[in-house]
Amino acid sequence: MSQNDEGREPLAIWFFVGVILAVYGVLVIIGSFVPGRPTVLAETRPGLWWGSLMVVFGGIFTTIGIVSHRKG
Amino acid sequence: MATIELAGLDWAIIVLYFVAIIGIGLYLRKFTKTGDDFFMGGRKNSSWVAGLAFLSANLGALEILGWTGGTMKYGMFVSHFYWLGAVPAMLFLGLYMMPFYYSSKIHSVPGYLKLRFDERTRLLNAVSFAVMTLLMSGINLYLMALVFKVLLGWDWHVSMWVSAAAIGCYITLGGLMSAIFTEIVQFFLIWAGLFLLSILGVMEFGGIGNVMQGLPSTMTSLWATTGDAGSNAMGVTWLGLVMGLGFVMSFGYWTTDFLVVQRAFSSKDLRSARLTPITASFFKMALPFIVVVAGMVAYKLVMDPASGFKLPPDPSDPSKLWNDAALPLLIVRYYPVGLVGLGITALLAGFMAGQAGNVSAFNTVWTYDIYKAVINKKATDEHLVWVGRVTTVVGVLLSIGTAYLAMQFNTIMDYIQAIFSWINAPLFATMLLGMFWKRTTSAGAFWGLLAGMIASFAIFMGFRFNLVGPDLASVLTLSAAPSDMTRNLWQAIWAWLVCFGVTFLISLFTTPKTDAELVGLVKGMTPKVDEGKVWLLGRPGFWAAVALIVVIALNAYFW
Repeated sequence: MSQNDEGREPLAIWFFVGVILAVYGVLVIIGSFVPGRPTVLAETRPGLWWGSLMVVFGGIFTTIGIVSHRKG
Repeated sequence: MATIELAGLDWAIIVLYFVAIIGIGLYLRKFTKTGDDFFMGGRKNSSWVAGLAFLSANLGALEILGWTGGTMKYGMFVSHFYWLGAVPAMLFLGLYMMPFYYSSKIHSVPGYLKLRFDERTRLLNAVSFAVMTLLMSGINLYLMALVFKVLLGWDWHVSMWVSAAAIGCYITLGGLMSAIFTEIVQFFLIWAGLFLLSILGVMEFGGIGNVMQGLPSTMTSLWATTGDAGSNAMGVTWLGLVMGLGFVMSFGYWTTDFLVVQRAFSSKDLRSARLTPITASFFKMALPFIVVVAGMVAYKLVMDPASGFKLPPDPSDPSKLWNDAALPLLIVRYYPVGLVGLGITALLAGFMAGQAGNVSAFNTVWTYDIYKAVINKKATDEHLVWVGRVTTVVGVLLSIGTAYLAMQFNTIMDYIQAIFSWINAPLFATMLLGMFWKRTTSAGAFWGLLAGMIASFAIFMGFRFNLVGPDLASVLTLSAAPSDMTRNLWQAIWAWLVCFGVTFLISLFTTPKTDAELVGLVKGMTPKVDEGKVWLLGRPGFWAAVALIVVIALNAYFW
């Protein structure tokens, strides 16, 4: 891609992936505390641990995106 | 059946996806200035970015829903479409064909046909590819609206117009790079939103061994039942599988379909371009762990009335159960608030990325291989970017038109399913001869390609209108009563054989191009790729060997 009018390169895709995963992870964790219809294996709290995992991976990808952008 | 109800948080997750992809498009707009930026993603991508986009351009929601449902019918055989019908072709593309594609700095696959052969072969392929992508994009749109109408109760028109508008918006803004960014986001959303279904399904049964236990032997083996077509649910022998799926259809799609190959063209250098399909092959190998495992879990649940898991009637044939609904129904079974929104967003992203891939490939082929080649040969780079943006909007509108056509005439779906073997299967023969036999002539390529396309279409119409009796069917497909899948495989084999034979024969009697004209386009006329100075872990050959060993091991384990 070309540089923008300020002469900067675009952010790496990993930054966007990381932010989306992290934000969605937080929303999934919040959802695990919202009362809803009964689901199979609800007692294993899938929203809580899967959402947490998404936040961790989101953080890793966001960091990779920022670091690779700074390196140019 | 009752539709799936979404909570406010689920809606928030879906709306956030639209905000994110349009935001990415707006952000990338500032960096999209030249033709290379708009159509080739700037040619600066790493093999990781290009590889994930390469895979995701093919990884639509249709595939995921279809193969999860397909597992309920064909069992482990579905894995053939990944481990036999994709990985070997992807490795071949990376190792042997990419140097010719990438080094010639073309914008498209038809562009290679122009350099290697002539304008008429390019135009034949460009026009057929443009029509195919628009049809596929429209069908994708229609099926998305159908799935969301039946399962979620969403209005047909709103589903189609909102998703098409979002796609048109972000591709018009950022071109191929927008498509690549959203494809990679889609890849992660699919794993985040759907892999958990397989995990929870296995947890419910107490382990993968318990899921497999009690399934018919035809569902749990890959090769053991392929000695006789009557012994497996797909009704195909190992020869039909290897030749039809493993060779012609697979190589025809993965090595020549510009929709996927375009992603490799966006790589920063030849080594990254070669690594693109090889990197993608590892992720392709992993996909059966979503679709096949989820399909087997759904099968076991359907077989157990006490589970409460029921499939709805198929909207196109209410006398049958709708296997493709299995995955969304697993979402309802296992996912609480929030995860439901994530699962639906993953499917939505999958549908939209499929359309976006078609639209971005269409705008490139139209702009470079039809508009610039025929209509305006002196067009400037700036003008071509403008044409690409206008073409994106027109392509999206034509896709919507195709979707409405499919809604009115359901039979159009039959034609779409066969379209790959009309176009890609013969094209693979043209490419193979063109890249590896310097004697192949322009006349041979054109008439061979045309003959292969006609042969494939004729066989399709013969079966479609019952003109092929059992005797002829036995000759054409090695089965007197072939299944649709078997017909498709053999139709592709015949298209490839006819194209190969006609191209070969005509080339023997016509004048080939000179050696000087073939430099960089044909094996033997192209400088050998030197990987000597690259560390072992950076070499395409090393990773292709690892991928091959892993895929052979998977086939052996599930033999």
